[in-house]
Amino acid sequence: MATGIIEARMEQHGQFPLLEVQQVTRRFSGLVAVNQVSFTVAQGDIFGLIGPNGAGKTTLFNVITGLIPPSSGQLIYQNQRITKLQPHRIAAKGIARTFQNLRLFGNLSVLENVAIARHTHRRSGLVQEILRTPRAIAEERQTHLKALELLAWVGLAEKAEQTARNLSYGDQRRLEIARALAVEPRLLLLDEPAAGMNPNEKAALSQLIRQLRDAFNLTIVLIEHHVPLVMGLCNQIAVLDFGQLIAIGQPEVVRQDPAVIAAYLGKE
Amino acid sequence: MTMTAFLETYGFLIVSMLLGALLGLSVYLPLMAGQLSLASPGFYALGGYIAAILSTQVFPVTEGSFPLLELLLEMLLAAIAAAVLAIALGIPVLRLRGIYLAIATIAFVEILRVLALNLEITGGAVGIFGIPQPFQSQIGYLWIVVPLLGLSMVFLYRLESMHVGRVLRAIREDELAADTMGINPTHYKLLSFVLGAVLAGVVGAISAHFLNTWNARQGTFDASIVYLAFVLSGGSRTFVGPVVGGIVLTALPEILRGMAGISGLPIWLAQFLQDGRLIIFGLLIVMSTVFLPPRGNYTRTVTTMAMAKAAARQRETRETREGSD
Repeated sequence: MATGIIEARMEQHGQFPLLEVQQVTRRFSGLVAVNQVSFTVAQGDIFGLIGPNGAGKTTLFNVITGLIPPSSGQLIYQNQRITKLQPHRIAAKGIARTFQNLRLFGNLSVLENVAIARHTHRRSGLVQEILRTPRAIAEERQTHLKALELLAWVGLAEKAEQTARNLSYGDQRRLEIARALAVEPRLLLLDEPAAGMNPNEKAALSQLIRQLRDAFNLTIVLIEHHVPLVMGLCNQIAVLDFGQLIAIGQPEVVRQDPAVIAAYLGKE
Repeated sequence: MTMTAFLETYGFLIVSMLLGALLGLSVYLPLMAGQLSLASPGFYALGGYIAAILSTQVFPVTEGSFPLLELLLEMLLAAIAAAVLAIALGIPVLRLRGIYLAIATIAFVEILRVLALNLEITGGAVGIFGIPQPFQSQIGYLWIVVPLLGLSMVFLYRLESMHVGRVLRAIREDELAADTMGINPTHYKLLSFVLGAVLAGVVGAISAHFLNTWNARQGTFDASIVYLAFVLSGGSRTFVGPVVGGIVLTALPEILRGMAGISGLPIWLAQFLQDGRLIIFGLLIVMSTVFLPPRGNYTRTVTTMAMAKAAARQRETRETREGSD
């Protein structure tokens, strides 16, 4: 009874570790892009990952999502080791991401981009699809409805039939978010979601990220350069510099940290 | 000219054109997932040898025409053999991308050709003769080829309009992104590769009977280029492209030969029209590569990487400027 209450409170305050990054290092020949980085992301967090260009933030995302294996260290997700799993296995476990340099399926429609990411939730295979079994047809309709629903969330429902690469830059960023949501992740990694957006769009995006977290029960890790946005949105912030974790904690604490100030503004 | 006379005269050409369409589709299938495989002639040759050996050496000799059921059995065995070989070849080879995959598959075709030239069972350099005929005339092959092409086109139409087709196109667009969306690219690349191989093997089994003779010249590098030209000239967006390309380009040499017969042409031009088939196919490939927009993974990766670099640089300068203000 008592533990149940405590657990419920811990959950409410986001104390359950969802992702644990343990001593992760990634080298590219001579360069150490990520160096012995450890931190824990708790369930329900909006976790900010900041740092100057080349600090290793995107490399860390690539390691978490399995695109590149870590040179050493472990990744624990929901108490399971996911180190060195292939990307599609990690996605199937419930980790989805967006890309900083936009990796949409450019020649496919906006709707198709989202529909593809329903892959892990589909059951009918090639044979059923070719035979057009009632189940395959019903599933295809469901996939379309779900994709439209997610597009409505990010404000792209009217553009569902357009070719993805014809969208504006901001719309493409939102489409990346819708596509990642279609995986039905528990952990969503956003790589510079606000890049190239104007202040109004950035404010709207902050709002959207918060709404998505609550509506889909997500935990979010985001890389962002725009410091005010991160400070306003995140409840935890980790700062990377030259591949090393130099600070971690709540926004107010991190903002005052001398090492962070030095990394961002240069030493006196 | 009556219908019968027309079919008698052009029967060979009409069946060849439809076989060309099927071979175009066999190259198109792996290309749906962005895999430039030139292995089709290898599977085509394999299927042909299976049919040739079975019908001349294994099956009992029958009075009259060759039983259709045995032809269907040969097609089935050719499909199975092609699938098994495609899986064995595909698992190591599909790790390669773009031009490297093309080179590896050319090597595969060459290996099979050299094997066929030197093995006893394939008849060495002479090949296999007198493959029995299931039909009275060559136009009769339409009974097999038309349903096969029809089924293949329905298959591809449905494939393209459903989820698996979408997955293949996603892999063609961006394999890594598809992977992070939960799709196993190796699985689907292998699937499309095997489907293409099966189709080529089945067409080979039919062709062995249709051509009456089978030898090592059936699966060569030339054939790889010709089938690729079918797809590239027709277009690789939908399955209609390779079908049209296969039909038109198979008829092209006959049309050129007809043109060469026009009196009053200079001799060099008439000769070029008659013998320059491969040169013209090569030109078609070059032109379609130049004039049709690039869709290869490689090109896309390079351009997006360059764009992302430029964007990052711009952002950096902007932020430094904002910071100093």
